[in-house]
Amino acid sequence: MSDYSAIQTLYKSATPFSPYISVGLLPYLAFVLLSGTFALAFYFSTLPKTVLPVHETLIATLASILGGFGVVALFNSVGVYV
Amino acid sequence: MILLCRLALLVSLIAANLAWAAHSFENTAIVRTVELGGASVHVVTTYAVKALEPKSSVYTIALSPNEHEKTSWLEVRQKGQQVALSLQPVLLDTANNLYLYRAELPKQLAINETTNLIVETVQTHATYPWPEQAEQGDEQALKYETDLYVLSPYKTSVQRTKIRTLSPRIISYTTPEGIDFTTDNPVTKSGATITYGPYHNIPASSTLEFVQQHQKHITAHYNHDFPCAEIATLKRAAEISHWGANLNIQDEIVLHNAGPTLKGHFSRLQFQSQTFYNRPSPTILNWFTLHLPAGIRNVYYYDLIGNVSTSRLRTAPSVPKTLSGNPNQYSVMEVRPRYPLLGGWNYTFTLGWDAPLADSTSFDSKTGKYIVGVPVMTVIPDAVVDDAEVKIVLPEGATDVEFFPPFPAKNTTISTHVTYLDTVGRPAVTFHYERLTDKHSGIIYVTYKVPFSAHLRKPLAVAAGLIGVFVLSMGWRRVDMRLDTKQKL
Repeated sequence: MSDYSAIQTLYKSATPFSPYISVGLLPYLAFVLLSGTFALAFYFSTLPKTVLPVHETLIATLASILGGFGVVALFNSVGVYV
Repeated sequence: MILLCRLALLVSLIAANLAWAAHSFENTAIVRTVELGGASVHVVTTYAVKALEPKSSVYTIALSPNEHEKTSWLEVRQKGQQVALSLQPVLLDTANNLYLYRAELPKQLAINETTNLIVETVQTHATYPWPEQAEQGDEQALKYETDLYVLSPYKTSVQRTKIRTLSPRIISYTTPEGIDFTTDNPVTKSGATITYGPYHNIPASSTLEFVQQHQKHITAHYNHDFPCAEIATLKRAAEISHWGANLNIQDEIVLHNAGPTLKGHFSRLQFQSQTFYNRPSPTILNWFTLHLPAGIRNVYYYDLIGNVSTSRLRTAPSVPKTLSGNPNQYSVMEVRPRYPLLGGWNYTFTLGWDAPLADSTSFDSKTGKYIVGVPVMTVIPDAVVDDAEVKIVLPEGATDVEFFPPFPAKNTTISTHVTYLDTVGRPAVTFHYERLTDKHSGIIYVTYKVPFSAHLRKPLAVAAGLIGVFVLSMGWRRVDMRLDTKQKL
């Protein structure tokens, strides 16, 4: 029982949870990141076909990372709290 | 053979202990108050205790096997103190067929020093509807059976039992005959209280001979004006999201009306006229009020058919989890099942909500641990939960999981729960409880650590999926899929 009351006092005295990115910002972040993803994907589709696809890979990686964070922000802003 | 020897040794130890325990206290007065409700019964027994030996600190309470089986919560307090006394593990006295609870007093008593001990118990399934069947508009009557004397391994100077009902309409009660311990009327009734006693000079009663010679059975048959709600199964799932700073709690409840079962058919016409003229029948469970936490949003209430719109919700604003926050704020939800529950009917529904994570989780920066507090259940007053399962789903990549339930669970398991955008799955802690009452309204605390890299797992998983799509498209552009190569691309 002392274990339980110890954890209870610790719970009450510790700082409340705060996320790295505040939740109110998430819908706007989702919009910005996903529009960036779509723009980059469009640009990717206009790139010339070279033997070593360095430029294409760079753009694809950038678009994927933006898209990854954008999708997570999108899920959270519509109510599916992942 | 060895087992029998061991058993005999244990019993003799118990008997010897009992003999030792029987000499160190004397009960100057015992008052047992039984508050009769619907599905649950609250029994408060006050022992005025006098120590007969110096340095007495362990007090023994005896319960008959019937009472022990029905008791689902027991707490011993000293009068004036808020902290409950610690109880030693329950002993079964096989010689006398009794269960012994030993409470340890915080301060040892000197010889002839007195104190008051308050033992509160909640009994479940102790009442049953009588008559067992009732028509739609009939009254609801319940019966409660118990033993006449409060058993104790110590001598008692005076003892009383009071049985209280919510309404003064008591149909009948047992008048015991042949009582040796009193010369007055063994039972009196006034209003909603039946008093058995006072009985004087009862010897140490936790023995088989006393039970066989003197113990009597008493029954009270009373009218109960409120529907008896019982939750047959409760499945609570709490999901924590760090990205969305959200705690989602979802209850899947099977509600049961534990009143007299319906005799005949259900007449919608009769039911409508009853509700119109505002005469609610106590056998019908029509609606009930739930106190949900403050600061909830996105509340959903649906059953197998779909959304149930017959409910009213008034939310309270979010209370930040600080020491000075008011913890008594709650949102009120009036829930009306899709159909009125007559006696013996069941209704299955799902009720859930989202709450900001800051209201229930805190972060201890010294140890890097997150601590989350999830209530075991939403208490419906006077309802009993037969089977409860509480599952707390922690974020992906949580490590060093420790849990602190307010009362021990029958079963605790740790499993992996997979949901949206998960790669390795989330750790989930599941607690299994039985026979919870409104006294079991505790909070389960779980501590865990989440490294920063685990937070990045989800976006990187989605990014990996998108990269796959891009690589596929890179390959697709470079491959000629034309069937007719003479045509221009």
